[in-house]
Amino acid sequence: MRNMFVIFRKELYRVLTDKRLVLTVFILPGLSIFVIYTIIGTLVQAQFTEPEDYETKIYAENVPDAIVHRLDETMNYRFIEGELTRDDIEEQIMDEKIDLAVIFAEDFEERIIDKSPNPPGVTVFYNQGNQSSASAHTRFSAVMNAYHESIIKERLDDPADYHPYILATENIIDERTMAAQGFAMLLPMLIIIFLFAGAMSIGPDAIAGEKERGTIASLLVTPTKRRDIALGKVTSSALLSLLSALSAFIGIILSLPRLMMADETMPDISIYGAQEFLAIFFLLVVTVIFIVGLISIISAYAKTIKEASMLIMPFYFIAMIIGIMNSFGAEVNQNPLVHLVPIYGPINMLSGVLLFDYSLTNFFVTIAANIVYIAVFVFILNKMFDNEKVMFAR
Amino acid sequence: MTDLEVRDLRKTFRLSRKQRRIERTDEKKRIAVKGLSFTARRGEIYGLLGPNGAGKTTTLRCISTLIRPDEGDIFIDGKSVLKESIEVRKNIAFLTTELKLDDFFTPNYLFGYFSRLHGIDEKTMEKRRTEQFERFGIDKFAEVKVADLSSGMKQKTSLAISLVHDPDFIIFDEPTNGLDVLTARTVIDYLLEMREAGKAIIISTHILSVVEKMCDRVGIIIDGELKVSDELAKVKALDENGDLEEVFFHLVEESAGDFAHA
Repeated sequence: MRNMFVIFRKELYRVLTDKRLVLTVFILPGLSIFVIYTIIGTLVQAQFTEPEDYETKIYAENVPDAIVHRLDETMNYRFIEGELTRDDIEEQIMDEKIDLAVIFAEDFEERIIDKSPNPPGVTVFYNQGNQSSASAHTRFSAVMNAYHESIIKERLDDPADYHPYILATENIIDERTMAAQGFAMLLPMLIIIFLFAGAMSIGPDAIAGEKERGTIASLLVTPTKRRDIALGKVTSSALLSLLSALSAFIGIILSLPRLMMADETMPDISIYGAQEFLAIFFLLVVTVIFIVGLISIISAYAKTIKEASMLIMPFYFIAMIIGIMNSFGAEVNQNPLVHLVPIYGPINMLSGVLLFDYSLTNFFVTIAANIVYIAVFVFILNKMFDNEKVMFAR
Repeated sequence: MTDLEVRDLRKTFRLSRKQRRIERTDEKKRIAVKGLSFTARRGEIYGLLGPNGAGKTTTLRCISTLIRPDEGDIFIDGKSVLKESIEVRKNIAFLTTELKLDDFFTPNYLFGYFSRLHGIDEKTMEKRRTEQFERFGIDKFAEVKVADLSSGMKQKTSLAISLVHDPDFIIFDEPTNGLDVLTARTVIDYLLEMREAGKAIIISTHILSVVEKMCDRVGIIIDGELKVSDELAKVKALDENGDLEEVFFHLVEESAGDFAHA
């Protein structure tokens, strides 16, 4: 076992002293996720919020007083003076000189009061591609809907005609569960993707890289057991992949409030206690070692890093699909047999832990199954290191 | 007991589809070594001489435990490469000009790394590092990454690192292949020193002058078969003028003739 630690230390040294690798494997994942998610969150939030001091510019013809009153109550706006043709309106909306144009029929109010069989028309112009214009349209539509409802109310003698029944819906979800659902939807998928990505950036170099550089023979002629080589490579790659995933995880956690558009009152990751964090930690450890074991076997089989990366790609896609399926899955699967399935089992269990909906039996089934898979991987890798056809294939 | 004994060594390789296409052959298997037997002793250099593709490298790779013989066995200090490979590796060094060092590391780091893999204590390692690095002039470049070393310095570093554990058996495949004259001289001188120090050295080469300069005993291998194995003087004496080159060509022609007759 002594040589396992020698190899483990060398692999760590190889990565941790290479500034470029440190930057790309440990700093960039977290930093890029934080920056990207924060930007996405900010942009999405901006879509739904108009600056408070923004004054919507409306061109209007024949606006009834009732509408003006309602606009005064809901919007910060001003009417544009002058008379515009349809072409002028379109041009000025496209040039962002006005946000919205509303043309009411000349005798709009009279025809409403007279309950004219020929209802008066309102034409609205806006630009969906412009945020201010689209927002002005949404608000104006709300005003018109409210006006429409008030007219219906007035016209119906009996209030029961207007309200045949009253629907009362009470969503009794508490904020903690809501936040947990948010985490359970996002985190397992992101974690599996980043664990795999981290392992892919390190694993192939440790074995396929040695084969490609021709340095593997130097290692194989030392009195080191093949099992120690396999364990040294797998454990070091697993630790480095875990650190890489941790960087991505920190980036996710820091940018999550912005991404989920949470306000200050919304619960954060602190809803989870020590038991959940411990469970997450063990799940991450076995999952990352499983992934690294798989990548190591593929790397041992491949002749070059490029070939290894190519062969790993389908497994990466499968892991991504499983992660995405889990995100959109309705419930945590409690069948113990499901927890035996590689990748899917740990992701399902991770969702369960994040939703406070898991059994210890299933948790131990997941951990035990993955330990068995890892042992099988190490055994296969051990045999591969001892196989000249695999090690020296050209 | 002989120090190193190769006993009836046989090794066959399966040819991949790609290899069959390149070599334009329908053969699915190639016999690389056909029942090779020879011995090597401490304090002498045994040279395995043969043309390209004769089975020299395969033989040395079997001795160094990198590949397993299909049949036969190799005993180093009485230990079988098949049954006691870990024990054998403790006392051998395998070198080849193709054996690469990881470009990212420095000679200092690699010397420490391989010393630890061989279980050498820190004090002994430091002593050997100083000696070896001074001997090869690596000391000035000890903290320079291998990637930035000249090819000659890389070869010297490779030599020093392969011998971190001061093994009794040195197996060197094509020791001067691709080296400039000065580095080749350094390597040859070092191997001669090692012989004086009582090491058993086996080299493979197709360069006759290297054999004549270094070897005490020589085996000529052609098409995986050892045609002759004896003291250099006795092998040379097979030609009336004592010309090793003539002996070599005669054996090659004889082998080609056998092949034609077959």
